[in-house]
Amino acid sequence: MIKRLNFTGRRRIPRDRVDIEVYDGQPRTFDAAIDLDGTSLPSHAAVFLEAMCAGSNAVERFHFGEVGNIVPPQDRCLRELDGKNVFFALKIVDRNERFGRLLGIAEHIRPQRAGKQTAAGRRGILPVEPKELRQRLWRLEFTDHEVYLYVNKDVPELVDRVRTDPLFYAVVYPEVVRRVLMQAISENVDIEEDDDHWPVLWLRFGKNLHPMRDTPPTHDATEEEREEWVEDVVEAFCKSHTVRDKYIAAASGNGSGS
Amino acid sequence: MILREFRDAGISAFRDFLAQCREEPGTPYPHYLLEDESLTSAISPAIEVAFTRLTTKADAAHYLSSLLGPLSDRSVAANAGLWTWLTLYFFDDVCPPKDGKRKVKNDYYYIFEPRNPRHFYRHLLFISWHILKVAPEHNRLLLSSRISVLDKVTSEVLKRFYLTRIPCMFEVLDRLYWDDSRRRPRSGIVTQQKVTPGDLLHRLPIRIRQLEKTYDLFSLNADQMIELLGDEFQRERQGATAN
Repeated sequence: MIKRLNFTGRRRIPRDRVDIEVYDGQPRTFDAAIDLDGTSLPSHAAVFLEAMCAGSNAVERFHFGEVGNIVPPQDRCLRELDGKNVFFALKIVDRNERFGRLLGIAEHIRPQRAGKQTAAGRRGILPVEPKELRQRLWRLEFTDHEVYLYVNKDVPELVDRVRTDPLFYAVVYPEVVRRVLMQAISENVDIEEDDDHWPVLWLRFGKNLHPMRDTPPTHDATEEEREEWVEDVVEAFCKSHTVRDKYIAAASGNGSGS
Repeated sequence: MILREFRDAGISAFRDFLAQCREEPGTPYPHYLLEDESLTSAISPAIEVAFTRLTTKADAAHYLSSLLGPLSDRSVAANAGLWTWLTLYFFDDVCPPKDGKRKVKNDYYYIFEPRNPRHFYRHLLFISWHILKVAPEHNRLLLSSRISVLDKVTSEVLKRFYLTRIPCMFEVLDRLYWDDSRRRPRSGIVTQQKVTPGDLLHRLPIRIRQLEKTYDLFSLNADQMIELLGDEFQRERQGATAN
């Protein structure tokens, strides 16, 4: 039984209908071009863009007029968002028949272009965010939209080294993969769904890595079944990245650091 | 006294005091930390902070809102040193001594952590100010309790940002869960062990999560939201009216 159902007639809008550029500044600002031509959405439905970012609860909302008359608001400042990983949701909202009903939605829209303060383009499945973590070096943060690897912002250059330092990679990433996959299974999603919700992406990633290409267990599988599948994937991950060999080379001073 | 903020060293000194106070509940109040130049710095513009008693969260919310009015909300909401200093200043209200001894809770009730999503809403002074900012009206459900405790209703609402960012939510909460006759939140709405139709702890968050898949909740007013919540909440509302 898959829990993510859509009985509402709400239409999923392709993300490429929205083109966003975020500009550096204090605060940052953005431009968005929204193309709803040919979608057959009602022309009087309201159009909203909502901006969010990793590590923040804030949602900034911008009214872009109506489907038949898209007008960007004058104020497009991202005042409440501090993180590098900014993403947007487009919502088309009924204002006539059933007030407030969502008629269409596009989620997890990343800026196509951005300055240095903002990540742009195609996203990885594990965005990295520098965070205040006291004496911890890293932790995972699961949100509705993404899973993030938080790394301690007070450790010099750690945020840049997480993917390239063989020691950090060898020690941290296999455990990250294990934890994220366990959580992804419990999210109870359909990996065949045309979606880029993080559990879907991670379970597809896991399936592709799995030595037998086994489909991930469902959320109601036994603990043993889940762990077996996840451990197989983690083993395959370590093998494909030659984690042990890189660790030994780095620890003995022969690591390339890449 | 002029309003100040703790530097990092000041926050550490306050943390040490909290730890010592847990070990020895009669530890004297370290008033000298408040104006130590090496541990604190003055807030600009200069603001005079009065010695006043804060009994309820509503007291704190209104006093602090007025006190911090000259500062930008954004800077106040991010200032760990300011809120931690204020906590020490009002420590007899936030952590009142009984027979000369204090019962000190976790640090996050007293030391503000603005960037920690699990801790920020537990700071006893900040949360009062924050509630008044996000809910200038319909806030009695969350501001009626004593300043020295984080009650279950407040924590269950404030930790769910997807609830508090919905414009009509505070009016909805007030209409569903405030017991007007007893001037307090209705009983049984945050009982951990028991799921009651229309309760705040279990059913409301689930129902809101369901509705946000279908509706743009930012567009709704309180009447529309309560109607969409469904029959179990209508009964809850009737119960509220009948009480």
